[in-house]
Amino acid sequence: MEYVNPEGLRLDGRRPLEMRQLRAEIGVVARADGSAVFEMGNTKVIAAIYGPREVQNKSQQINDQAVVRCEYSMANFSTGDRMRKPKHDRRSTEISLVIRQTMEACILTHLMPRSQIDIFVQVLQADGGTRSACINAATLALADAGIPMRDLVTSCAAGYLNTTPLLDLNYVEDSAGGPDVTVGILPKLDKVTLLQMDAKLPLDTFETVMQLAIEGCKAVANYIREILLENTKQLEFRRGV
Amino acid sequence: MVGLSVGEKHFIKGGIEQDLRTDGRKRYTYRPIYVETGVIPQANGSARVKLGATDVIASVKAELGKPSPSYPDKGKVLINVDCSPTAEPAFEGRGGEELSSELSVALQRCLLGGKSGAGAGIDLSSLSIVEGKICWDLYIEGLVVSSDGNLLDALGAAVKAALSNTALPKVQVASAASDEQPEVDLSDEEFLQFDTSGIPAIITLTKVGKHYIVDGTSEEESQMSSAVSVSVNKQGRICGLTKRGGAGLNPSVILDMISVSKHLSEQLINKLDSEIAAAEACEEDEF
Repeated sequence: MEYVNPEGLRLDGRRPLEMRQLRAEIGVVARADGSAVFEMGNTKVIAAIYGPREVQNKSQQINDQAVVRCEYSMANFSTGDRMRKPKHDRRSTEISLVIRQTMEACILTHLMPRSQIDIFVQVLQADGGTRSACINAATLALADAGIPMRDLVTSCAAGYLNTTPLLDLNYVEDSAGGPDVTVGILPKLDKVTLLQMDAKLPLDTFETVMQLAIEGCKAVANYIREILLENTKQLEFRRGV
Repeated sequence: MVGLSVGEKHFIKGGIEQDLRTDGRKRYTYRPIYVETGVIPQANGSARVKLGATDVIASVKAELGKPSPSYPDKGKVLINVDCSPTAEPAFEGRGGEELSSELSVALQRCLLGGKSGAGAGIDLSSLSIVEGKICWDLYIEGLVVSSDGNLLDALGAAVKAALSNTALPKVQVASAASDEQPEVDLSDEEFLQFDTSGIPAIITLTKVGKHYIVDGTSEEESQMSSAVSVSVNKQGRICGLTKRGGAGLNPSVILDMISVSKHLSEQLINKLDSEIAAAEACEEDEF
């Protein structure tokens, strides 16, 4: 199947190096300490943060830093086919672990000893790149909750089909069987915190694709900074500054 | 949720007794209802309802299936509710299962009739395509995104709005021999709007002290002694009833609560219908 047609357009009309449209909103779940909605094209994800709060399970308490917990769940209607009965299937558990490790690396946990930070991510619509959208939503939600972080964490995925590196794969491109490289970075510190790939790629092509994904992450970081700036201006306005 | 102090509890109960609740509402006033339809593009119909800080999403997916042998001329409807951990940290893992099952069963009781489908808010015979062979299976999924009390009413409203938004593709049946499975052709162009005039709205009355309130926030609901949820349709008929909560109620109190719900249902149904119509008009404007 042709994923990039001779004119250089993908199945949804994008160019190979073009990301899907990003849209984000802060403060959607009123009762959470911090929350955000993040959309990458048709993938829509809600993240809610509860914390820092007292550790619920005393055996998990750490005396010199905060415990970070994460749960990833997909709504029943998120994918094209209807039913997803197993809520805790292996894929969800793996993604929960990945998000937790990525966010834990950037939260300044030593500032909040003996406490717990819960990150809950709910996928409303899944169209490829859910992992990345979840990490981006979690970053925004953590910022909304005022939890101290080293840097923003942004994530984006890239692939390689029809001998062309493609940025931000959607579901159809992802299921094509080609490689899918997901990268998460700390943009200001310029460090990679998450790197996952499936299928196989020759080493030099891998470097190209990974660089492409990193560029995508930086673009997401710029967007997130804009959103946070806008949000802060709103807060200032409401305070009458 | 942080626990309430004794002073706060007295404040809530006292306010309800004096018909002036914490947020300024009277006992029988609903919070502003906000309805948005078509939020899930890949579903046949969907809606999002916000009642104050309570936020729920309902989606309807229709698939072709085989009718049950005992009711060959009726389609099937399955309602399932999921409580997302984003609403409440306690819903993490399997924590939300109890509440999810309670809400699913309550919704089924209010919207679907008895086993034969008689008296259902949704007309099951309209879902039948070929008697005994092919029918529509409707899967109604509810998701609680943010919880601030009165989940059942919000879910009922969301299901009603989602069903109004549902468009079933027109089916053309190729004629076949009597014992073969007929071929069906799903039209991509023509759609049938679902008839939702018979769908009831759910009103939950929460008893706090001697008085009942409608649309309680989660703080008010934490002080309840018992709650009665009544589903009433446009014709003023009662389609379902659920009593929750530990305290026992005098039968006359229950009858009084039912009549109050009936009275409130007219306003609620009118409000819902106008909100749904506005939401649908908004959605059409976008195209």
